[in-house]
This record gives sequence, C-alpha cells and structure tokens, in this order.
Amino acid sequence: GRGCLDYREVIIETGVISQANGSARCRLGEGTDVLVGVKVEIGSIEIDGADEEVAAIKAKRGRVVCNVECSPIASQQFAGRGADDFNNELTQTVDRVLNGPHGGLDLEKLCILPGEECWVVYIDALVLDYAGNILDTIFMTIRAALFNTRVPKTTVSEDKEVEISGDDEEWERIEGWEQVPVSITLNKIGSRHVVDATPLEELTTEAKLHVMVSKSGKVCGIQKSGGGSIEHSLLNEMIQTGRSLGQNLIINLDKILHKEEELMVRNSRVGKLGFFAAT
Amino acid sequence: MSRQELIGPQGLRQDGRRANELRKIKCKPSVLSQADGSSYIEQGNTKCLAAVYGPREARQKGQVIHNKASINVELSLAPFSMSERKKRTKYDKRLLEIASAVKQTFEPVIMTSLFARSQIDIYLQILQFDGGIIQICINAATLALIDAGIPMLEYVCACSAGIIENTILLDLNNTEESFDTPELTVALLPKSEKVTLLQLDSRLQVNEFENVMRTAAKGCKEIYEVLEDATRDHIKDLLNRSNPIN
Repeated sequence: GRGCLDYREVIIETGVISQANGSARCRLGEGTDVLVGVKVEIGSIEIDGADEEVAAIKAKRGRVVCNVECSPIASQQFAGRGADDFNNELTQTVDRVLNGPHGGLDLEKLCILPGEECWVVYIDALVLDYAGNILDTIFMTIRAALFNTRVPKTTVSEDKEVEISGDDEEWERIEGWEQVPVSITLNKIGSRHVVDATPLEELTTEAKLHVMVSKSGKVCGIQKSGGGSIEHSLLNEMIQTGRSLGQNLIINLDKILHKEEELMVRNSRVGKLGFFAAT
Repeated sequence: MSRQELIGPQGLRQDGRRANELRKIKCKPSVLSQADGSSYIEQGNTKCLAAVYGPREARQKGQVIHNKASINVELSLAPFSMSERKKRTKYDKRLLEIASAVKQTFEPVIMTSLFARSQIDIYLQILQFDGGIIQICINAATLALIDAGIPMLEYVCACSAGIIENTILLDLNNTEESFDTPELTVALLPKSEKVTLLQLDSRLQVNEFENVMRTAAKGCKEIYEVLEDATRDHIKDLLNRSNPIN
C-alpha cells in the first residue's frame, strides 16, 4: 500500500554493543535489519608505495576500514560461501564512499602522531535479516553508529609515547559524522521507479540505481547494478529524485538520533526495540 | 589481576554475583522474519542470535543420509564482539570446533529419522562475547529449533561451571575463563537428566569433578526454567494475537 517513493518505517537504536566504541542497529519495517559496530584502535600510518604528494597527505590522516558481512541468519542464500561475492560488492561500495573525498569523516582529526600513529576506525556492518533494500539500510546504520561513536582523548608525551585517557567522560564524538552520506536505491520496474523495494519487488527490478547523497544535497556517488539498462532521461529523473529523498532522509534520521540521545542524557528509560527488547 | 581477586572477601565475584549464581538471562524466540525459527539470547554480556532453516532439501549430495536428516551448524563471531577488533572467517578452527560440538549435541535429540534425506541448518551469530560461548550457542539453538517447530526429545540446556581456590563457580564470564580456570561445560536434557555434551578445559581434580558436575547440572535446570518460560510466553502471545475475541 505504499507510494512509489515511500520508505518503510525506520527504527534506529544506538549504543547496543557495549564493547564497541559506537554501535547502532536499524530496522526497516518488519524486515531488513543491520547492526553496525565501530571500533577505534591505534594503528600505524601506512604510506609505503605512495608517491611523495600522496604520502605527505596520508601522513597526517587517520584511516577508515569498512567491512560488510551478510550473516547466514539473514537469508538462506548466505550460507557457506554464498555470501562472499555479495559481501565483497557491498564492502567495496561502502569503502569507496567512506574513504572517498566526500566520505564525511574528518580524517585529519584522527591523526595522533603525524607520520607514525593514527586512529583507525573499523566499521563493521552485519546484516541480520534480509528483506530488501540492503545498501540503504547499511548506510543509515553506519551514519547512526558514527553518531554514537566516541573516540578516546590522547596525550602524546615528549618521548613520543601515546597515552589514552581512561576517563570516559573525556571521549569525544567523531568529527564529521553529519557529512557521511546516505544512499537511496531506486529500482526501475517497467517504466517507473520505486524506492525501498521488498524482496518481491527486487525480483522484478530490471536495474537499480544507488545514489549517495550528503547532507548538503551533493551527490557523492552513483552506482548502477542489475542486468537491465536505464534510459538517459529516466536516469536524470532518478538522480534528482534520489537527491531530494536523500536530503529528507538525512533530516529525519538526524531528528531520531538527536531525540534518542536527549532521552539517554536525561536518563529516562529508553525502551529497547526489536529483539533487543527481550522480556 | 591475580586469581585471588576473582572472588572478593565477601564471596562476591567481579560482577557482583555469588559463586553459584547464573548471569542474568534474557531471551526471546521468533525474532527474524526470513528464518523458519529464530531466537535471541543474552546471558550477562554475551549476546547470541540463532536462526534455523529446515527441514529442507539437502544442498550437497554428499550430505544426504538416506534414513534421517543431516544437521549443519555454522557459527560466526562479529568482528566487534570482543574487546579487540578481530575479523574471524567462518572457517576459523576454534569456531569450527564449537560448531561441530553443537552439532553433536543436537544429533541425538532432534528426531532426525522423521525427515529422511533432508537438511536442518542451524546458524549462530555471536554479537557480543563475554565468556560461555558454547553454552549460549546451545541454549539459543534450542529456542530457535523449538520456534521452527522441529520435533525434539526435550529441551537441551547448557551451563558452565568452574573451580577457583576451592570455590565452585557457576557460569563463568570471560575474565574468569581466561585464568587457566578449569571450566566444565555441560549440556543436559533436564527432564531425563541425560548429558549430551561434556567439555572440560584445563585440569580438574577427579574428586572435585562430581561437585562441579552437579553444580553445572543444577545451572542447566535453572536455565531450562527460563527457556521454557520464554517459549510459553511467546506461544501465549501468538494465541492472543490470533484470537482477539478471547
């Protein structure tokens, strides 16, 4: 009963994994469920093999490592080696966007000792339930998890020893999370396009267009998947639709995230949702 | 931290429990939309999600058994589940060993002879790890199998127990496990009191074995109560939803 451009109900929870620096879980309607854990660890700056210019830039930045895994619990097709190709594809897509120039995160702030040590942000996405529209959900959850991530404060002593502040209160929010783009997947069915497809709708899709949009409305990435083709005029229309939907989505997501954080700060009981609300 | 600090002066453990107390268990069946049966279990800080698919047609000809169903167990550990981020492939030896242990635990309990030539898949996903991996996998799998409607002889409940400085501890967490503590994991069929899995890490004195075993068995029965309550509540829920007049 949804309109062509309507999303299913989005439920987001943050801070679900206590051992991770940041985490979030997003559920679309009754189906697609993605859990993202962000861990921040100290690593060395890698500049081997790069030429002088690139090396100079890399020496002052932190790193982001992305990984997407479709758990076999999500769908029968992901058991054994079945998920490997799909995982690879998703990982590469997410990695390209987050490590690209418009990935959003302020990598320079993640540098601890230029040329030697930096923070490495490991973003691990786990798909728990598959009911269509996986890439959009992954990006939404990554954005929420980064909102929830806190990076410890470091002090560098004179003999280049890095000390991590043990005080939880001093941990800072990761910079640049609001600039992380979201993706809007438009599915071409016949001559119309549909957003947020269910598995049944995905089976009838000829071609999919993923449009990555940032908060300011800039299109940060486009990817086409699927075996069919998209006409030029339809392509333009889809990108524009993707852009406006993307901006709306970001505004709504941010509202939900800020509201949840407010509730937690006021210490009122945030009801856990979905399966985390056991008993 | 030395072994003596694991049990404080008042007999309280690191997380405030007494020696024979289980961690707080929260569980819920039927949490996923795609799987035939699923469950989510939290034992203290260890969280596990289980999904069961089946009985369905066996995917590999080699796995087909002519007179019963074959059981396939896969275990994965999320990279963010431990305090140090580590990406483990599905074919990590330790995970394969645990998956195999879970499979052997359920083989005599599931009525596989009812489903010849088919396959039952149990997929386990650990979201957060704080010790007790085998026991939580077995408990989660039990709930998921019941939710999938696969006939079993009984519930299978698992619990671990160990001994430190002559005190028997029930349900060890990660810190307690990592001190070369003898840890006995027992999977029990609570009504018939049959043991389907017994695993011991480290060394245990033979004369202490009996006591540790009994403590673990008692822990299993307590876990059984929790699992059974969760299943009954879920069924009551389903009945209420389909009969709104009642």
